[in-house]
Amino acid sequence: MARAKKLERKPLVAVVVTVLFFAWLYVPIFAVALFSFNDKKSLSAFSGFSTRWYVDFFHNEALLESLRASLLIALVSAVGSLVLGTMLAFGLERVRSRRGRVVGAITLLPLVTPEIVTGVAALLVFTGAGLKLGLDTVILAEITFSIAYVTVIVRGRLASFPLEVEEAARDLGCTPWQSLRLVTLPALVPALIASGLLVFALVFDDFVLAFFTTGVDPQPLPVRIYSSIRFGVSPAINAVGTLMLLVSALLIVAALMLPRLFKSRSSSLDLITGGERR
Amino acid sequence: MTPPTTGHAVSLRGLTKVFGGQTVVDALDLDVDSGEFFSLLGPSGCGKTTTLRMIAGFSDPTAGQVLVGGEDVTSTPPHRRDVNTVFQSYALFEHLDVRRNVGFGLRRKGIDKGEIDQRVGEMLELVELGDRVRDRPAQLSGGQRQRVALARALINRPKVLLLDEPLAALDLKLRHAMQAELKSIQREVGITFLFVTHDQDEALSMSDRVAIMNGGVIEQCGTPEDVYENPTSVFAAGFIGTSNLMPGVYASGTVAVTSDLRIPVPGHTTSVDGDQVSVAIRPEKIWMSDFTPAMVQTPGTIVSTSYHGATTQYLVSVGTGITLTVLEQNLPRMRADDRWNAGDRVEIGWLPEHAVVLR
Repeated sequence: MARAKKLERKPLVAVVVTVLFFAWLYVPIFAVALFSFNDKKSLSAFSGFSTRWYVDFFHNEALLESLRASLLIALVSAVGSLVLGTMLAFGLERVRSRRGRVVGAITLLPLVTPEIVTGVAALLVFTGAGLKLGLDTVILAEITFSIAYVTVIVRGRLASFPLEVEEAARDLGCTPWQSLRLVTLPALVPALIASGLLVFALVFDDFVLAFFTTGVDPQPLPVRIYSSIRFGVSPAINAVGTLMLLVSALLIVAALMLPRLFKSRSSSLDLITGGERR
Repeated sequence: MTPPTTGHAVSLRGLTKVFGGQTVVDALDLDVDSGEFFSLLGPSGCGKTTTLRMIAGFSDPTAGQVLVGGEDVTSTPPHRRDVNTVFQSYALFEHLDVRRNVGFGLRRKGIDKGEIDQRVGEMLELVELGDRVRDRPAQLSGGQRQRVALARALINRPKVLLLDEPLAALDLKLRHAMQAELKSIQREVGITFLFVTHDQDEALSMSDRVAIMNGGVIEQCGTPEDVYENPTSVFAAGFIGTSNLMPGVYASGTVAVTSDLRIPVPGHTTSVDGDQVSVAIRPEKIWMSDFTPAMVQTPGTIVSTSYHGATTQYLVSVGTGITLTVLEQNLPRMRADDRWNAGDRVEIGWLPEHAVVLR
């Protein structure tokens, strides 16, 4: 595909607007990271470098428990939605029918439904069914919500995967199951990694769904942070926020790097962003 | 390599495919001999690819049978048929390197690694890709990808190799080179090739036999020379090469095209007087000079002249509504001054046996 012609001179106004936008976006985040290293409790005056809030955090059993809970929720949700979402993608892509198109549209609904509605609805279902709220209900709600992301990404990759390649595998002696395992799934690996990391990142710091569906103990990290903010912002929260930022950043880097390691032609993030086509 | 066995590599018996009420392949009967290079030639939508897919097992016949090496495989799934396919899109496994692509089929058969490596090496030598063993398909050119697809299928030594327009995606020069190479590889390995194409040049130059398909049926089947020189239907005559087709009425050994132009058709016995038929004469069989006494001659007027490098094509009007295409070699003695121009009165002639009656 031909690349769009680039302007020879960058218009000054566009440069200024872009710089201002990124400043607006990242300066507050940078401030949070900076004040997590403040040696005083102040959130306005930086008086000296210290890692005391990190030490605090790693000695705060309640916060650590929440971190572990959130990592567990994110991991199980990522794996669960990956399995279900991929199966759904295959169904939608390979079985063409009118009903399939309707199901396809319904699949996308969670992407546009206000999360708070999903949260309240999940809460109603869980309490109505007499389920005890806890980590399992959070995971259930998060998987329900995340399947759509996996399905959209995997389905996009599947749609561009020629059926002839599967036929070639069958022609060369593969049973349908072997051709799925040896040919189709390897081709989907970038999409699976991308959607898995995306779901992990989304679920890990998701507040709204977790807030509605969690029990009292242990609370997922975002819920824990929210409740502690009500009693005044401690710089320990900044430390937690910075750590969460780090986790998310690492996931993004991983999403960028992993496909390179697999020598795949396209980065998995290209699948989300549309990427750069050759 | 396995020597060609006698008998039929592929036999089709009343093979039929109906898609949504439309008959795509209509009660096809066909026998392809072992070791033969056989082409299915026809326009797109004639059912040739569907036929190939039914032989490979990707498409279930509505009726009829597919026999491979004398064995009925009609309800055998593709992975258990002794048949391999070279796909039009090549359908290479992008996540595997050339070596693993080519060795894929042997690994599925559980052949031990040493033998696989050896056979993959031999096969890659055969298709001249010995130096690209570790490359991914994405790193190869179109022609190289084509060779990988061929090697990946051939290495399994199938009873028949199915090729679905494998050269269509290549540019003209490469395509000509690959035609010759494909033919020589086929001779070397002795495997039956069933080649699907819409390109008549390809079919004529490579095949031992050609079947011309149209509307789900085989219009004519024979050697390239046979189908070219003696087309048996209007479609076959028009699809292979160009032909001057003239409708007329048969009467005692001639076909009356106009009241002035009666074309003798000696040796034609299957028509009776008064039958509506067509006469076909190939453009290169019509002469404009150096006539021999046996030729049928008729006067005409040049309508247009077009220069094609090796040949010159004339449109010659020989009567009301009858314009013939004449193709003349640009022989060394012919200079631009020697060519005729529009409006020139000329004499044209052909040998009577080159006028073919079609019904």
